[in-house]
Amino acid sequence: MITLTINGLRVEVEQGTTVLEAARFLGFPIPTLCHMEGLSPYGACRLCVVEIGEGPKAKLVSSCTYPAEEGLRVRTASARVLRARKMVLELLLASCPQSKVIQDLASAHQVRQQRFRQEHEDCILCGLCVRMCEEQMMAKAIGFRGRGSTRSLGTPFDIKSEVCRLCGGCIYVCPACQLRCTYTEPDKAICGGCANLSPPCVEKERFDDMMCYMNPCVACEIVKD
Amino acid sequence: MERLCSIEELKRLRALLVRDVDDRRPRIVVCAGTACQASGANSLLRAVKKYLIEANLVEKVALRITGCHGFCEMGPFLLTEPQNAFYARVALEDVPRLVQAVLADAYVEDLLYRDPVTGEKFRRCDDIPFFKNQQRTLLEMNRKIDPIRVYDYITHGGYQALEEVLSRRNREWVVEEVKRSALRGRGGAGFPTGLKWEMLARQPKDRGKFLVCNADEGDPGAYMDRSILEGNPHSIIEGMLIGAFGVSATQGVVYVRNEYPLAIKHLTIALRQAHDLGLLGNDILGTGFAFDIKIVRGAGAFVCGEETALIRSIEGKMGEPRQRPPFPVQKGINGKPTAINNVETWANVPLLFRMGAAKFAEMGTKGNGGCKVFSLVGKIKNTGLVEVPMGTTLGEVVHNIGGGPPGKAKIKAVQTGGPSGGCIPASRFDLPIDYDSLAQAGSIMGSGGMIVMDENTCMVDVAKYFMNFLKDESCGKCFTCRKGTQRMYEILDDISKGQATLEHLDLLEELALAVKDTTMCGLGQTASNPVLSTLRYFREEYEEHVYEKKCRAFVCKDLVGAPCQAACPIDTEAWRYVAHVARGEYEQAYQAIREANPFPSVCGRVCSHPCESRCRSGTAGKQPIAIRALKRFVTDRVDPSVYRPRRTKAVQPGGPRVAIIGSGPAGLTAAHYLSLAGYASTVFEADAQPGGMLVSGIPAYRLPRDTLGKEIKSLLDENVTLKCNTALGRDITIDELLNDGYRAVFLAIGAHKSRALNLKGEDVPGVFPAIEFLKSFNLRGQKQARGRVGVIGGGDSAVDAAGVALRQEGVDSVTIFYRRTRDEMPAQKKDIDSVLEEGVKLETLMTPVRILTDKGRLAGIECVRNRLGEVDAGGRRKPVPIPGTEHVFLLDTLIVTIGDVPAIEFMNSMGIEVTDWGTVKMDPATLATSRAGVFAGGDVVTGPNTVVQAIAAGKKAATMIGRYLRGEDLKQPGVPLLPEVYVEPVQLDDDALAEANRVEPPVVAPAARRRDFNEVELSLSVEDATREARRCLRCDLEFTQPKEDAVPAQATAGVTA
Repeated sequence: MITLTINGLRVEVEQGTTVLEAARFLGFPIPTLCHMEGLSPYGACRLCVVEIGEGPKAKLVSSCTYPAEEGLRVRTASARVLRARKMVLELLLASCPQSKVIQDLASAHQVRQQRFRQEHEDCILCGLCVRMCEEQMMAKAIGFRGRGSTRSLGTPFDIKSEVCRLCGGCIYVCPACQLRCTYTEPDKAICGGCANLSPPCVEKERFDDMMCYMNPCVACEIVKD
Repeated sequence: MERLCSIEELKRLRALLVRDVDDRRPRIVVCAGTACQASGANSLLRAVKKYLIEANLVEKVALRITGCHGFCEMGPFLLTEPQNAFYARVALEDVPRLVQAVLADAYVEDLLYRDPVTGEKFRRCDDIPFFKNQQRTLLEMNRKIDPIRVYDYITHGGYQALEEVLSRRNREWVVEEVKRSALRGRGGAGFPTGLKWEMLARQPKDRGKFLVCNADEGDPGAYMDRSILEGNPHSIIEGMLIGAFGVSATQGVVYVRNEYPLAIKHLTIALRQAHDLGLLGNDILGTGFAFDIKIVRGAGAFVCGEETALIRSIEGKMGEPRQRPPFPVQKGINGKPTAINNVETWANVPLLFRMGAAKFAEMGTKGNGGCKVFSLVGKIKNTGLVEVPMGTTLGEVVHNIGGGPPGKAKIKAVQTGGPSGGCIPASRFDLPIDYDSLAQAGSIMGSGGMIVMDENTCMVDVAKYFMNFLKDESCGKCFTCRKGTQRMYEILDDISKGQATLEHLDLLEELALAVKDTTMCGLGQTASNPVLSTLRYFREEYEEHVYEKKCRAFVCKDLVGAPCQAACPIDTEAWRYVAHVARGEYEQAYQAIREANPFPSVCGRVCSHPCESRCRSGTAGKQPIAIRALKRFVTDRVDPSVYRPRRTKAVQPGGPRVAIIGSGPAGLTAAHYLSLAGYASTVFEADAQPGGMLVSGIPAYRLPRDTLGKEIKSLLDENVTLKCNTALGRDITIDELLNDGYRAVFLAIGAHKSRALNLKGEDVPGVFPAIEFLKSFNLRGQKQARGRVGVIGGGDSAVDAAGVALRQEGVDSVTIFYRRTRDEMPAQKKDIDSVLEEGVKLETLMTPVRILTDKGRLAGIECVRNRLGEVDAGGRRKPVPIPGTEHVFLLDTLIVTIGDVPAIEFMNSMGIEVTDWGTVKMDPATLATSRAGVFAGGDVVTGPNTVVQAIAAGKKAATMIGRYLRGEDLKQPGVPLLPEVYVEPVQLDDDALAEANRVEPPVVAPAARRRDFNEVELSLSVEDATREARRCLRCDLEFTQPKEDAVPAQATAGVTA
């Protein structure tokens, strides 16, 4: 058994436990996007960062991948952690504003503005679908290609995969494309809050395209319906 | 090659080889490293071989082809042994002479390397400063051995360290020895190698262990690993063998980039040789120790230099870092314990065993053993590989080995550590190079790339370049690294295009810190360094881009526009009037000039023309356009009345009045532009006539008085009142002015007090401060010089004083004494040349130490000769007196001009703060002094400066005072001044352009001009001016040319029909 301290509380865990699991065991909330029980830890979204170590050697690590070590001292909500997390969420919001999951996380972390150039991406490359396909569906139909800003997801050579069984597991686990706002009628859909963010959360020309799912809206705090 | 079955056999082989070495045999050494091959080493080699065969000298002269020596700037080069002579940039036709010289044990004197600055010739390669100031422990071997001949390596002590290690048969000792040597990972992070080996040695050996040589060298501009692999591959093999023995590893991998074909070739050959000799494989040298090495070729992803990504790449997976722990020493390739070291680290291992760990550690600083190889590139004279002990300062590397900047521009910073590193400014060049100091300064050692940057490098652009590299080379796994680098690049791009705000700077910093904090691997954690270090040391450059929309290095295209216009302190559209001159439209040209400049004729003659030093025609390799001469040409031909000033507002009766103190270019310019903006002013002049330094300082032979007088008169319109013989502090005070109804005051009183030499006897008759001397003559016609005249100083006023003295009756000779060299004289080169032609003598590297007097009058000066010493903070070499070189010059007149300062002792009492160096304190952005309503500009705040800078200060003062009087914010963001008006180009055709050279204006012959004060320089002829103007590259067209897609309506109609 390994003993470590999380936010001042001592906890004993088994060898091989991650810091995230240990913290959740104690009931400390740590947000995650790319983590899912049953899938191997990956450490891509960086939302789950926690602070370990002391003094000048203190650093942030992703709790989902970091193994519990004897005597480790973990802080899950230090100022440094929260600052970093807010920036991660702001970046997420800038790239993938339609995701209900990201909107909720941003709202919960008091992210009130998005200062980057607005993008509308459908994918944050968290890799859940890749691991789902490989580890649970035993298919390995999809994977990552390229690196850096041109990294993308797909089947080899973008040809329909022969091993894909159209199980839908990839869509099921996706935090970015699931549960888009379904309101398509302008009078029902628009509280105006998203458009009043600066820069607007959704910069699309037609209301039909707006897929805002903030509820309550982070800007005007109106509860829909 | 026979297999060696015991350590003894290897020793015997070496003894045999060493015995056969003939040191006196004539030998030619040619570097065939990749850099030299690129500059023609292969042709050189062919030429040498051909000549040796043709002249039947194959038996007599030996030839050695080696890897990189490091002096890549001089390639292709050739060394001769035993003379140790170095011939740089060898031309093929010189080969026979060189071979014959080797044969005759002689030198080819005219081809020997010469120092590009001093011209000093070096017979011995080892005496060349580039080599002499290095300590070449690794690179030295590259010169001695042919990389494809293992016997060369063995002859020079190769595999001797392995011998010792295998004879001792003590694994702990090997690891301890490496620990004692304080060798740290040369790949960049600087992890102690001994510690890493110790950790690996402790791992259970039943599953097998891996050693990896990381040759995935990916930093732009860095190539030391390649050079070692190419030039001395056996040192890597020996290092890995020793490591393998120490940690009981069985399998070795060299992970090398596929774009290093020569390195792979040499390494493959070396591995085969080592196998054949029984140095690799099973039962090495009959000791039972087994180890093998294979080569894995990487596809060139930067991230694969990161150890966990490298391991995955070796395993055949996507190069993507993973979480550590578990560390590779616990779980590496295929889950087996693995230690990864850089090429240079491995190459250092045999070295440290040969020389002893203690001695190796001594070479560096505490905890940083040995030497480090750097690839010195960028704006530096001697590009190449340099090796210095840890703890050497950056300044020594840059100036003593690198030879300093190649041109006039000062070195600004050094970028170390590649894309993960940072920029260290010149002010911190005293920093010792070791892992910890560099990290503290915000950079990293990295693998050893060192990119030198000068004033023509924009730090925003540098950060942008690296961020562009990183956004493509991040593996993309961590969201913050992938998106963070992309977002940082976006923000930097916005800054370089003038589209960012100050908030963006804060956001950039916030983001950079977040990326540093939240990423998994070394790449992401250091990816922010280029941004953070430039923000830390060069924040004002960022702010300049954001706020003033200016790029001081003239790199960011969208802020610079046409460089000539951007370089002009008063934003003259130089490109525009040059274009009009090319078309013969002189009136339009005059209007473009006059719009920006109230003193066109003056500037046409005496401007320091910063535009020309930035002219792309000049920076692109040819000569800059003679912009100043063209301006003079226009003003000589056009009647000033064609220009009607644009008045924005008429002066209101009873409106606010402004007091301007000083009627020099700054004061009069301010008065003129205030008048145009609707404000009346009074100009107070201490002397009897207006003009300031234009009248009292600049001699009439450079600036004719009637031309100047006309220009000054044209500025004194109905809104400007001139009051001469009224000096601030003597006749008026600031309080009085403000009480008299002046709402604002502009202080432009210039710098009219010469600084003293602080030598005894400076007050005797015959010694004059330059300003007094020039004023006495220019304003009152008094001729003070006689006999032998000495002038001390190197600035414009020294040269002017020399020229004026020479023209006075009773003067026999004039000599200028300057403490540095001629290249460093601050005066304009043209003016120095001019007075030297007229007969003025110049003594450089001279400092006066004593004034000799005779009966209370000047008799001469004693000077000491200087040499140029260390580089000072300003980037110039300090003059250092050489004792015993004192020398007396007999003089009758001595004019001292070692810098002028404002005469402002009374300012403090008027409530105006003064700086420590005796100038008026003000905010450079607004010209506001410490007292509300009082502004200052020109020489009184800068010290002696150029005319155009004074005019710029006057223009700015008018703007600021206008804002002040209207109650507006003084600080307002700038707008980039991009060319807007399209002037249809008339250029020379390509052939004529290739032939056309810069036109210099005609001058009166020296003999004719040296006795009178008539103007020396004459106007260009129409043909010359037209040809010169047509040489212009027209940088403005990029911004003004009508877009081609704006197709005329008729043409479109034709297409549809």
